[in-house]
Amino acid sequence: MQITEIFSSQLPVGEKLTIKKGRFEPKERKPDTKRISIVSGTHGDELEGQYVIYLLSSWLRENTDTISGIVDLYPAVNALGIDTITRGFPIYEVDLNRAFPGSNHDYLPGQLVHALAEDVKGSDIAIDIHSSNIFLKEIPQIRINKEFSPSTLPLAKKLNCDFIWIHDAVTVLEATFSHTMNEMGTKTLVVEMGVGMTLTQVYGKQLLSGILNLMKSEGIISTDEEFEQREPFSSEVGDVFYINSPSAGLFVQSITHCAIIKKGDVIGTIVDPLSGKIHDTLYAPSGGILFTLREFPVVYEGSLIARIFGESHENN
Amino acid sequence: MKTIEILRIDSLNRSPLIAEGYLFEGSDPTAPSVAIVGAMEGETILPLYTASKLVDFLRHSLDDESKIVGNILVIPSVNHYALNINQRFWPLDKTDINTMFPGYGEGETTQRIAKKLFDALQGYTHGIILETREGISTCIPYIKLFESGYEDLKSAKKFGYRLIHHKSLRPTDTVSLQYNWQLWGTKAYSIICPSDTNIDLNTSNEVFDGIINFLSKNKIIQYKVLSGYESTIVKNRDIEIIKTSKSGIFIPTKKIGTTIKKDEMIGKVIHALEGKVTHRIFSPCDGLIACAYKNGLIFENAVAFRVIKSG
Ligand SMILES: [Zn+2]
Repeated sequence: MQITEIFSSQLPVGEKLTIKKGRFEPKERKPDTKRISIVSGTHGDELEGQYVIYLLSSWLRENTDTISGIVDLYPAVNALGIDTITRGFPIYEVDLNRAFPGSNHDYLPGQLVHALAEDVKGSDIAIDIHSSNIFLKEIPQIRINKEFSPSTLPLAKKLNCDFIWIHDAVTVLEATFSHTMNEMGTKTLVVEMGVGMTLTQVYGKQLLSGILNLMKSEGIISTDEEFEQREPFSSEVGDVFYINSPSAGLFVQSITHCAIIKKGDVIGTIVDPLSGKIHDTLYAPSGGILFTLREFPVVYEGSLIARIFGESHENN
Repeated sequence: MKTIEILRIDSLNRSPLIAEGYLFEGSDPTAPSVAIVGAMEGETILPLYTASKLVDFLRHSLDDESKIVGNILVIPSVNHYALNINQRFWPLDKTDINTMFPGYGEGETTQRIAKKLFDALQGYTHGIILETREGISTCIPYIKLFESGYEDLKSAKKFGYRLIHHKSLRPTDTVSLQYNWQLWGTKAYSIICPSDTNIDLNTSNEVFDGIINFLSKNKIIQYKVLSGYESTIVKNRDIEIIKTSKSGIFIPTKKIGTTIKKDEMIGKVIHALEGKVTHRIFSPCDGLIACAYKNGLIFENAVAFRVIKSG
């Protein structure tokens, strides 16, 4: 494995910011050798992807003989943010996933994302691993822009995730990594799983199987080993229900896992510590799979509590 | 004048955030009207100060109430919560209210705030948004107008600021207040204020006088003003972006608002540990320094100055 710097910048006081890439490649490269890029840490408070890339890197080290394509690993895009618990790019407070495609002439966050996009360019497939934020826990899921779904949906199904969410095109999301790379011809998938500032090991292992499964089917690894490929729910055939807090207070979960729930199940309560009163009890508006659940207890009116994917016929 | 509640957001432990608008009803119902939005973010002292000063002016400085001809709504602050703890964005999730428009009443907290604010801003002829620059820079006061197809450059000249930046629209601008307000039929303008963290009376007067010019020239108030500048319309191609090739301690040697000559030294960068000058910044053109980096420490290739080219 070969480690290179894809971007570096001398910081003002005796330090260099570097963004690193690790590459595994086959002994012999053919014209049709495929390349996959795995990216994480665009948001400095999201660490699950770092663990997945660790697992993948470690698997590839143990199984070098199987490598028949190019695997590029970019575990820490917002390196400065990760080491300082900062979601955006420090000082500028910029969300790197709203700064693409960037350019060489751009400010530092824009230069950085530009360097990443230029380096990933030419990959057949890219996977951008996110872990929600510090507020919400997500079951392993793939987010897909409808515009690109004909090419990305078949790949998403191989990733051993629980849910595939196909969303409409939104102009503001054109500044994301996935949109930029899809436009440049790399089939790019966004994974959301777990919660910010945490490693959810079971999810990490689940996604590892999915990535290996996808790589095997794309001929990037050649092995007899079988990898798990669970059947995901897909938002093509149902609706997403949002539950937002109606009041400010402390959110206390009544369910602790993202799981299958029935309409009317209690998701949690919004309580007031001082008076000991319950402001609101939150019920599931639909049966289905609860794929997002609030982890961070302090809420305002409007704070997202949960998202449920329900079958359309249960809508009433 | 009457105060109206624009929005109210409760908090677990803080007192409720109540954003109020000060509505001055004009003497002529057919006259053009204007709504002015002050601080949507924290760390924006000039937008806050300018709007609050305007409330005081409209209440006390016009000798006769009938001199307010058109309706004027002033909302000095939308985001007390961020201002009071000196954070830029919404304190819990760090989202920017000015990226949440037109808002969504069933959505996240800042989408709801945007929705309530946007509802209160409908139906005005003109809309003025007081903002500061994103990023780490400060500037002379200017008007920012997106190339949205709805913008009114001619009216923007009535502020009399030196510059109007006629800016191409980025994807992220489509969720801003200015863009959405224009889409919904109000002639909206953003005044970009210097990012000062304390009040400089000269600069704040310049921002303030521009608004009074605008209100007077549009006959929204009757008040004799001294003319401002004949504004120059600036496109992206008219801006010379000057960067530092080195990181370190940044020392601007020319101030924003200064006109400069080609090859004039305008700043330098010092090695942060050894004190020697590692880079001198010379202007590549004649022009006006409109923006400058504002921190003492600067990154490599960071924009140190934006100069509006002349000649
Ligand atoms: Zn993320």
